[in-house]
Amino acid sequence: MDKSIFAAMPSLTPTLGYTAMIGLGLFSLALSYAIKTYLVRNTHDFIIADRRIGLGFGVGSVIAVWTWAMAVMMSSAMTYQWGLSGLFWFVVPNGFAVMAMIPFARVLRKNMPEGYTISEFIQYRFQQSKVATGIVTVTMIFGIILEILINLKGTSVVISTVFGIDWKTATVVGITCVLAYSYFGGLWTSVMTGTLNTLMITVPAAIVVAAVYDKIPGGVTGVFEAVGKAGAQNLSVLRPEAAAGFGITLAFGLLAATVSDQTFWQKVWAIKSRDVGRTFLWAGALFYPIPICLGMLGLVGIAVGLKPADFGGDIAAVGPYIVSHIGLSLTLVMLYVLVILAACYSTIDGASSALSSIVAVDIVRRYFPGTSEGRLFAVTKVSVLLGGIISTIIVLSGVDFTTLVLTTYALKTSILLPLVLAILWPKTTTFGFVGGVVGAIVIGMPIYEMAGELIGTLSILAIGGAIVFVTGIIGAQSFNLADLRRIPDEVKPAVGAE
Amino acid sequence: MYTLIIILGLAATVLFVAGFGRGLRNAIAEYRSHSFEPSDVPDFNYAGVAAISVIASGVIIALAGVSPVFIYLGPLLAIVTAAGVGVAFFVEKSNA
Repeated sequence: MDKSIFAAMPSLTPTLGYTAMIGLGLFSLALSYAIKTYLVRNTHDFIIADRRIGLGFGVGSVIAVWTWAMAVMMSSAMTYQWGLSGLFWFVVPNGFAVMAMIPFARVLRKNMPEGYTISEFIQYRFQQSKVATGIVTVTMIFGIILEILINLKGTSVVISTVFGIDWKTATVVGITCVLAYSYFGGLWTSVMTGTLNTLMITVPAAIVVAAVYDKIPGGVTGVFEAVGKAGAQNLSVLRPEAAAGFGITLAFGLLAATVSDQTFWQKVWAIKSRDVGRTFLWAGALFYPIPICLGMLGLVGIAVGLKPADFGGDIAAVGPYIVSHIGLSLTLVMLYVLVILAACYSTIDGASSALSSIVAVDIVRRYFPGTSEGRLFAVTKVSVLLGGIISTIIVLSGVDFTTLVLTTYALKTSILLPLVLAILWPKTTTFGFVGGVVGAIVIGMPIYEMAGELIGTLSILAIGGAIVFVTGIIGAQSFNLADLRRIPDEVKPAVGAE
Repeated sequence: MYTLIIILGLAATVLFVAGFGRGLRNAIAEYRSHSFEPSDVPDFNYAGVAAISVIASGVIIALAGVSPVFIYLGPLLAIVTAAGVGVAFFVEKSNA
């Protein structure tokens, strides 16, 4: 078995690429317009779906926003690089991070039933502290922009590679498609198109991976034997270097990515209260098969002896390269492209919708409380476009966004334990929360720079948690979370006011 | 196996689409009826089931290193995900 079986596919023209991108966008736009007509009358409907999202849409949409376009590709890449250990460390913390939301979601939904954003919770939890609230709001905005940025960049690179489209054009076409349909229906659009995208990710992924194994000489047995010959450690999940190389750092990063992300918190307050816990349970458990399935492409890369230079040097491209060069039919290759596009679109529209809730509640309602419902609704709808536009400008400018990635990482990781303790530990103080986040950044990030990812991440977490804990023990305060039940709904129009 | 996965994929798609249609109808009916939506959060913490699914995911990946036939577990379970979302629409209760 060798890589001579791979050959470029001449029928993948730019027209096909545009058709896939615009076709998915138009389909979502039509659905979005219908949703707007039936389910969206005001800002409350737009940003929180009247708190009526049921189990089905909840599970489908959480899976969709958590399945990043890069995750589709990285599951194959990590398997290709580290064998099954890479897949293990990539996959196991991923689903766990979704299920880790359950205890926090249950506590906040029970004690703050009329909430909208995690920043709003911090505002009331810490006596209107502008610093604490500002830190959380900025972290959420940075996280959302980064989510959009990474998905947009990753997808444009894949589309340009597969179809020969200029990557800048692919970026503009992709973001235009997503923003066009996201604008209309807000969160309802995001959850319904996201749920459909989950179907477009799962079944096509299963068929394409099975087709690859059907096409390759020797099938699964041939690949299994060739992978073992390339190195017995490739078939083990116990390689310690995979854990140390990226696994442990990724696990904490993923926890920060859910718990410190408004995309998930928006859903916590939008899903029916009786379904909140089991939605995150089902979503986490049902998410697992997606990267496991796509990770199997990485074994093919090892089996045939592909080198990074064969597919441009970036290991994230190993999956797309195998699918588009192994001789599958055009339909199957287009199905794989659909998987990546669906993952990209659903994550971006989920992030855009989350941004609109931050703008409505944490910016307009907080700083301009006299804003009328009509004006708030208009501003909220326009704000859906903001994250996409900013991210597109950054991507098109060609600047190295390492600084943005590092800043967002620092904020999200630093905020993780202080936020968890703010939710679960009544003795957490405002000073401890702010001090924990600032201390974790100021002391932890230099350690991260000097000692590397693993020690740096553990240091950031330890510093943040320790400061909150010590200040909480020293202080005599104890916050009663049940007090949050008195907080009124800040956005819902009074009956008869619509 | 490829043919079986296509057949199962189509069956899961049918279940998913049927569930999606039910969910959409329920959402519109509930919105129109302005029915009361309770704010109670059930007491279950789901810790046991969550732990089992985390362990199961690791075991499934490990099995792919034991025998080649387990490589197909990934695609088969991806279809289970699609079917599972479809089932979720039928499990949920509507207030309409």
